[in-house]
Amino acid sequence: MSETWMIAGAWIAAGLTIFLFSFLYKDNPFFKIAEHLYLGAGMGWWFQVYVYNILGPKVWTPLVVNHDWMVLIPAVLGISLVTQFIPKISWISRYGFTFLMGYGSGLAIPASLSTDFINQIGGTIKPLSMMASMTPFAIFNSLLIAFGVVCVLFYFFFSVEHKGHVKTVSNIGIYFLMIYFGAAFGNTVMARFSLLYGRFDDLYTFSDKHYFYASQLIMLAMVVYFLVHNFMGKDKKEVTEDEAAG
Amino acid sequence: MNVMTKNKLGFALVLLFAAANTFAAKPGPAAKKATADPLLPVAGLTVIDMPYDVGGTALLKWDVRPSDTPDVTYQVYVSSLETGGWIKAEEFPADTRTGKDIDLPFWAWDTSIKEHAVKVELNNYYGEAQSTGSPFHFKVTAVKGKNTAESEVVSVVTLSNWFRLDRMNNLVLLLILIIAFFWAVSHAKRKGLFIRRIAGLDAIDEAIGRATEMGKPIYYMTGIGSMSQISTIASAFILGEVSKKVAQYDSQIKVPHYDPIVMTVCKEVVKQSYMEAGRPDSYRDDINFFVSQDQFSYAASVDGMISREKPAACFFMGYFMAESLLLAEVGATSGAIQIAGTDVEHQLPFFFTACDYTLMGEELYAAGAYLSKEPMLMSALKVQDLGKLIVMVSVLFGIIFVGVGAWRHWDPFVQVILNMFKAY
Repeated sequence: MSETWMIAGAWIAAGLTIFLFSFLYKDNPFFKIAEHLYLGAGMGWWFQVYVYNILGPKVWTPLVVNHDWMVLIPAVLGISLVTQFIPKISWISRYGFTFLMGYGSGLAIPASLSTDFINQIGGTIKPLSMMASMTPFAIFNSLLIAFGVVCVLFYFFFSVEHKGHVKTVSNIGIYFLMIYFGAAFGNTVMARFSLLYGRFDDLYTFSDKHYFYASQLIMLAMVVYFLVHNFMGKDKKEVTEDEAAG
Repeated sequence: MNVMTKNKLGFALVLLFAAANTFAAKPGPAAKKATADPLLPVAGLTVIDMPYDVGGTALLKWDVRPSDTPDVTYQVYVSSLETGGWIKAEEFPADTRTGKDIDLPFWAWDTSIKEHAVKVELNNYYGEAQSTGSPFHFKVTAVKGKNTAESEVVSVVTLSNWFRLDRMNNLVLLLILIIAFFWAVSHAKRKGLFIRRIAGLDAIDEAIGRATEMGKPIYYMTGIGSMSQISTIASAFILGEVSKKVAQYDSQIKVPHYDPIVMTVCKEVVKQSYMEAGRPDSYRDDINFFVSQDQFSYAASVDGMISREKPAACFFMGYFMAESLLLAEVGATSGAIQIAGTDVEHQLPFFFTACDYTLMGEELYAAGAYLSKEPMLMSALKVQDLGKLIVMVSVLFGIIFVGVGAWRHWDPFVQVILNMFKAY
C-alpha cells in the first residue's frame, strides 16, 4: 500500500513541477491547475497552522483548560480586527489596529535605533581600535569601509541637491552600492540554482522505471497537448480570419 | 681577535650575573607572596544581582590579591540549597576576570582591575523559572596545586531590572531625534522643507498615463510585509498618491494582497484617495483583494493574473523576499512599465534587472513624503537625514579618535569612544 502511495506521490510531485515549469513556454491550463492547487493548499496549510499552533495552544487551552482569563485581552483585540467586515461595528477594529501599530512601533523604534545607528557607527570604527597590531592592509580595509559608509549615506541624503562635490561623493556611494548588489545577486542566484537542481534531481528520480517513468510520460503528454492545441488554434485562427475577410 | 672574543664573553658573563642579582634582589610581589605565603581563602566576597538585566544572573566580587598568579585557580560554586548541593559554575586563573571584563559601558559600571568580577548565569543550571526570584548561595575556592582554600558563603536573590542604564546612549539619541522631529514638524508647517528630486518617482505619472491610454489596469503590490514594517507603511503612503492619480485619470488599479491587515489599511487609503480626487463613484471595494498568505502561492497567483491581464504598469513597493524576481520577471515579460521600491537590500538587484525604475531603501521612505508633501512625512524624512548626518560625523570623528587612541595606546580613551557607540 505504501509503495502505491509513493508512486502516486511521485506522479503528483513530477506533474506539479512540470506544470509549473510549463509557464516558461506560455500560460496554459496545466499551469492554471498547479497555480490554483498551490493557492488552495497554501491557504489550507496556513489555516491548520493557525488553528493548531495559535488558536489551540495559545487561546483555547489557556482559557478553557487553565482558566487564564488574561488571555481574553489579546483574544478580544484580535477578534476586534474581524469586525471590519460588519460596517455597523467596524469602528471596534480601530482598537485592535491601534494596539498593533503601537506595539509594532514600540518594538521597532528602539531596535532600529540600536541597529541602524549605534551599531552601524560602532561596527565601522571598532576595527581601528586594534590599530597598533593591524597590518597596513587591514588599516586600509577599515578606512575603505568607513569611506564607503559615508559615501553611501551621502547618496541617501535628501536635504541637499546633489550637485558639485556632493554629487561626486554620492556617485562614489553608488559604486559601493553596485559592488554590494552584484555580490548579493550572485549569492542569491547561486541559492536559486540549488533549488532548481533540487527539482531536476526529483524529476530525474521520478523518471526511473520504479516510478513508471513519471517525468517522461507527463512531459510527453504535455508536448502532445501543446502540439494539438497549437494546430487546432491555428485552424481556428484561420477560420476567424476567413470570416473576417468574407 | 681571540683576546677581543674573550673580553666580550667576560663582559656578557658580568652582565648576566648583575641581571641575575638584580632579579634575585627584587622579586615580583606576586612571586614572592606565592612562594612565601600559604594559600589564603578569598576574603570580602560579595554577591549582588547583576544590574540592568532581565534577571537570573548574579555578580560576584572580591579584591584582587598580590597572590593572584596564573598558577592559582579560582572555582566559583553555586547552590540553591542552604547546605550542600554545590555546582561548579566557573573556573579561571586567578590573574584573570576583573571588572574590565564585564561587558557594561563606563557610565554604568566601574571598570576597575582591582576587583575580581564574575557573572554567573543561573539559567544554565536551574532553568529560567527558578533562577529569578529565588535565593542562591555562592562560595569561591582558591586552588593551588593540591592546596585549596574556601571562602565564606554569600547569598543573593536575582531580579529583573526595570531600567537599562547601560542603554543610556540609545535613549539620549532617541531624545535628540524626537526633539529634532518636533522642531522639523513646526518648521515644515511654517516654511516648508526641501527634498531633492527622486528620479524613479517622476515615472509614476508616465506609468499611469500609459495605463490610461492603453485602457489596461495598473497592478500595485505592497509586498509580503506586515503593517508594522516601515517599508509597508511607506508603500501604503505611495499607494495613496498613486490611486489618487489613477482616480483623476479614471484609470484602473488592482492591489493583490498577502496580508489581510495590510489589505484593510490599504482599502481605507485607496478609498480616501478616490474621495480626495473627487471620484468616490469610481471607487470599488474589490480594488484591494486578498490572494494568499503563503509566499509562493501568492507569487504564483499574481504571476498568473499579470500574464493573463497584461497590465500597463506594475508597482512593487514594500517588503519583498524571494518572490521579487518571480513577480518582476513576469511583469517585464508581459511588457508592463515597472517601478519597484524596497528596503530589502538583497532583493534590490532583482528589481534592477527586471524593472524600469527602482527606489532603493531609504528612497522608498522618502517617496511618500516627496509625493504627498505632507508636513509630518517631510519632517520624518528630515529627521532621518539628521540621523544620517549623525552617523557620518560620528564615523568621521570616531575613526580619527579611535585610530589615534589605539596608536598611542590610550586604552581607556578608546574604550570610552567604543562604549558610546555600543548597541545592545
